[in-house]
Amino acid sequence: MTRSEHELSRRAFLEGTTVAVVAATTLNVDLGAQSPPTVAIAVESQVPRTTIRLTVNGVAERVEVEDRWTLVELLRDRLGLTGTKIGCDRGECGACTVLVDDKPAYACSQLAVWMDGREVTTVEGLARNGVLTPLQQAFIDHDAPQCGFCTSGQLMTATAFLKNTPKPTAADVRSALAGNLCRCASYNHYVDAVLAAAGTGPVRGTGGAQ
Amino acid sequence: MMQRDDKTFGVSPLQTLGHATARIDAAERVTGRAKYTADIQLPGMLFARVLRSPHPHARIRSIDLSKARALPGVRAILTHDNCTVIWGAGSVAGGQQYSDDIKKITKQQRRAFNNPVRFVGEPVAAVAAINRHVAEEALTLIAVDYEVLPFVLEQEDALKPEAPKIWPEGNIALNNRNEPLPITQRRGSVATGLQQSAQVFEQRFSTSFVHNAQMEPRAAVAHWEGDKLTIYTPTGGIANCRHDMARDLGIAEDKVRVICHYMGGNFGNKNQNQDADLITALLAQEAKAPVKLELSRREDFIGMHGRWPTVHYYKVGVDAQQQLTAIQLRGYSGMGPYRKNSGAMAGVELYKCPNIEAVVTPVHTNKTVSANFRGPEYPQGFFGIQSMMDDVAAKLKVDPVEFAIKNMTRLSRDEVPYTVYSLEECIRRGAAAFDWKARWRSVPGSDPGPIKKGAGFTYMVFRSGLGQSSAVVRVDAQGQYTLFVGVTDVGGGAKTTMGLIAAEALGVPLSQVNVVWGDTDTCPFSVGESGSRTTIMTGQAVVEAVRDLKGQIAAKGLPPAGQVLTASATPRPTIEGRVRGAFGAHFVEVEVDTALGRVQVTKYVAVHDSGRLMNPLTAQGQIQGAAIQGIGMALHEQLLYDARSGKPLTPGYYFDRIPTHRDAPPIEVSFIETDDGLGPYGAKAIGESGIILGPGAVANAVFNAIGTRMKDLPITRDKILGALA
Ligand code: FES
Ligand code: FES
Repeated sequence: MTRSEHELSRRAFLEGTTVAVVAATTLNVDLGAQSPPTVAIAVESQVPRTTIRLTVNGVAERVEVEDRWTLVELLRDRLGLTGTKIGCDRGECGACTVLVDDKPAYACSQLAVWMDGREVTTVEGLARNGVLTPLQQAFIDHDAPQCGFCTSGQLMTATAFLKNTPKPTAADVRSALAGNLCRCASYNHYVDAVLAAAGTGPVRGTGGAQ
Repeated sequence: MMQRDDKTFGVSPLQTLGHATARIDAAERVTGRAKYTADIQLPGMLFARVLRSPHPHARIRSIDLSKARALPGVRAILTHDNCTVIWGAGSVAGGQQYSDDIKKITKQQRRAFNNPVRFVGEPVAAVAAINRHVAEEALTLIAVDYEVLPFVLEQEDALKPEAPKIWPEGNIALNNRNEPLPITQRRGSVATGLQQSAQVFEQRFSTSFVHNAQMEPRAAVAHWEGDKLTIYTPTGGIANCRHDMARDLGIAEDKVRVICHYMGGNFGNKNQNQDADLITALLAQEAKAPVKLELSRREDFIGMHGRWPTVHYYKVGVDAQQQLTAIQLRGYSGMGPYRKNSGAMAGVELYKCPNIEAVVTPVHTNKTVSANFRGPEYPQGFFGIQSMMDDVAAKLKVDPVEFAIKNMTRLSRDEVPYTVYSLEECIRRGAAAFDWKARWRSVPGSDPGPIKKGAGFTYMVFRSGLGQSSAVVRVDAQGQYTLFVGVTDVGGGAKTTMGLIAAEALGVPLSQVNVVWGDTDTCPFSVGESGSRTTIMTGQAVVEAVRDLKGQIAAKGLPPAGQVLTASATPRPTIEGRVRGAFGAHFVEVEVDTALGRVQVTKYVAVHDSGRLMNPLTAQGQIQGAAIQGIGMALHEQLLYDARSGKPLTPGYYFDRIPTHRDAPPIEVSFIETDDGLGPYGAKAIGESGIILGPGAVANAVFNAIGTRMKDLPITRDKILGALA
């Protein structure tokens, strides 16, 4: 067993070209662990690349990306925007959530080449001229981040959510953020913070809105 | 919703401590500026990947690296053939803190790369290459010839005579004298106690392997400059990590620098050094370039460690007055193939009972290694004993809260007084806030409809001992203070807490204190973010360093321009004849859909005494988060194994099912504050205490709702439907 047998190449996984294999992998069936490797040796200079144009946090970018890169690799490794985190790299946790054309998307589950012509917003793009958004400020006031590793994902989802649902209930917030895991389980404070930013919750740090 | 009571025990308010305060680094966390280990990029840095065993137990006959070495871009490969470095903290005789003495004793050693391999996920080879895609591809080109060996997964099976031996000495994990002996506590005579009892109750319970699953997957960046190693790593204890790295690499401690400025959770998964740190440092040495290793989520689940699974057999005797006469526990903890922690089970010490015997055997298995997870021996042990006592109360037809109040001890281990005791108050307060009498069903399972409600409760004491740690504080001519503390912030807010303690002691606002943390080259020793002890121990050092500095300022005034005054302290406080305990009681209401087997927590009240609160906002978050983790352990989480292949089936978030926003009910927290005059301003332990009670309280509530005792965690739908069928 190697990583690639258990964890298919992202490209194959994302493009869903190997459905049978995907099903086998999720059950962790051993795919011929003893058979000799047959993967072709990639010479780095031959890795397929594409040039794309996209807007990141309001800035127009023209970048050459490797076709196998995910959006999160483009953001973190190439553009230095490390505020977007990788918690699972396979669409299970939401730590990598960014906005693509104002909609939340898991950046680990989008190929970079797909971003051609799109507008991407990351956590670094929320504050303008050093002024935090009301949501960011509410996160601080309610001590929402504990370790902070899920925080940018929670922020991005909640930012898009509040735009469409300006006066949510606690239940609305929980449903909207259900795809953003927090192992510190700071969920009560996150919900409080989102409600406070919307003006429908506690003003500060009382915790555990019903 | 948080309640605080500082009146009952007469805690006088302070200037800076005890007020809801935003963290000093909160802005970094909400803007993406906080740099975690995987965010660090060094010039010329290589990327590493680890090849892991697909077999639960196998001898490696040979490893052919020729194709992998030929792959352009590969810079270093390590296997057991060319790397024999011992990872000391990975297998420790007795499962206690790794040290020089323990290193000498430990017989069942663990190397960075082992042969035989003893669990699925054990490292077989590590590659450093110019990027992660090349490193991944190189793994596919490594050909390993395995001789597959028989394996055993469950701890009770591993003790059968026919079980495969994981170590030549057998499958009982060795203690710190290398003896295969259980962990034993005895008081009085259980045999006599059982004879004298009016009734005896027996029950078996079990808990599963659950993973810490902190959001930041393990990562490390290593960089050698000459003979000095700098390692960036998420560690709950930079000083411990440095000792361990130096000891493993055979170099002087000052040749290792450990840096951890931000980390994405710990929960016990990142204490000491980890094999990822060691492997990264060794690859960087071999490749003569900086190396970054990032584990995938799956590797983090199967390659690190989780909470030890347990099996508990209890026998409890009561007399005609419904008072305990005997408690017996035979327990078996599954440690995986290496002993990284004790495997103990807490809980029997909660009771006033003249005859107690607990014999817990830590057993080697071919599952992923078990070790620290928030309150290592507590949630399992407390689930067991408090399910047992709930069962006894139910069979005696008495209210479990009254049964507890009658049978609990008010002394530590029923022997030594506490510095201040508030547990009974926590229970009474919680019962009132929860409206226990109204929510608890005196006839379990008596709700008529398919949706049944029930209530459960548990209570706890958690250690809050004193101990040695250090702090340095300095002031400049402008009266700006800088505090140097070797803490890392695992999520509990340690650096803000240290700043608050310093500001309080100095009598200045928090904004006048800079906190320097997370770097062994700039910070003094700190005890480490495990055992919920940083606030108590490093906090006390801060208080004493400030006292010294204030004395200097009183004598000499502020320093002249361009100079500073510095003070340091390394207190070793001790306490005799009394014990410090943090107390808590949790009350849970569940709703069970008996048609679907679904359990929902509909009310959760947590009452805690963690001494004086340093920052109530953070304290509340610690209890809420931990309680929700406890719910996850009770209802969903489990690393399942396939019995035929020995392979883990549920590594990763999707199948492990940690709680999501939708599973998280509002946790109503209230604190009874006390100040016993010890620790910094009376602070006691908090971080771990909130996870201890959820599993037992949820299980007891499910029993109260459906009238059938659920004895095996997690209480998944299939088990409920099975029990009701
Ligand atoms: S990292 Fe993308 S969903 Fe987890
Ligand atoms: S704050 Fe730590 S994972 Fe959410």
